[in-house]
Amino acid sequence: MSQRIKYHPLLEDYKDGKNITFIFNSEEYIGIEGDTIASALLVNGIRTLRYHEETGTPHGLYCNIGQCFECRVNVNHQQGVRACITPIEDGMVIKSQDVLPTPVKDWREKHDK
Amino acid sequence: MSDKSMIICRCEEVTYEELIETAEKHKCSARELKLRTRAGMGYCGGRTCRNMVESIPRQYLPNKEQLGLVTLKYQPPIRPVHFGDLGGDET
Repeated sequence: MSQRIKYHPLLEDYKDGKNITFIFNSEEYIGIEGDTIASALLVNGIRTLRYHEETGTPHGLYCNIGQCFECRVNVNHQQGVRACITPIEDGMVIKSQDVLPTPVKDWREKHDK
Repeated sequence: MSDKSMIICRCEEVTYEELIETAEKHKCSARELKLRTRAGMGYCGGRTCRNMVESIPRQYLPNKEQLGLVTLKYQPPIRPVHFGDLGGDET
C-alpha cells in the first residue's frame, strides 16, 4: 500500500506521474517521476537507508535538504550518493551502505576520556 | 530515553552524556572536546553538531573569555568529494 500523501491541506493536489521502477537492495520498487530516492523509498515504507559504518545502527532520512549526508546510499556502484536530493531514474540499482569490514578498535577505553 | 543518551553527533554517534562528561572532566575547549570524543569529525563535517559541540564546553570553562571563544575549524574538503571527480578512470 503506497504511503504517498495524495491530498494535502496546503500543497497542491497530487498529479499522477510516469511510474519509474528501480532496485533497492535487490528488490524492485516503483516510484513516480520527480521522486527522490528517499521519497520513493519512503512511499514504499522503507525508512532505513544505510547502516552505520562502525556500529551498524540503522540510519535514514534526517535533514532532507542534502546537508547532513545521513541518507547516503550506493547508486550504480557510486558510493555516498545523497538519497534526499537524487531523483530516481529507470533501472537505478541502489544498495544501502553497511558496516565496514575492518572496524576501528574502540580507542576510548585506553585513552583517558 | 533520557536526554543524557540523546545523540548529538549523528555521524560518530556521540551522545550528550559523553560530551558533558568529557567537557566537565577535562575543562577543555571545543577543539579538545572534538579531539577527545570525535564529535564533529564525521562524514557531514560538523554540519549537524558544530554549534552544540562548541556551546557545551563553555559552561564548564573556568575563565569564560579565553577558551570559550575558540570555535571549531571548517576542515577541507568542505563537501565529500569522490576521487573519480578529481580525475582518474570512473570505476
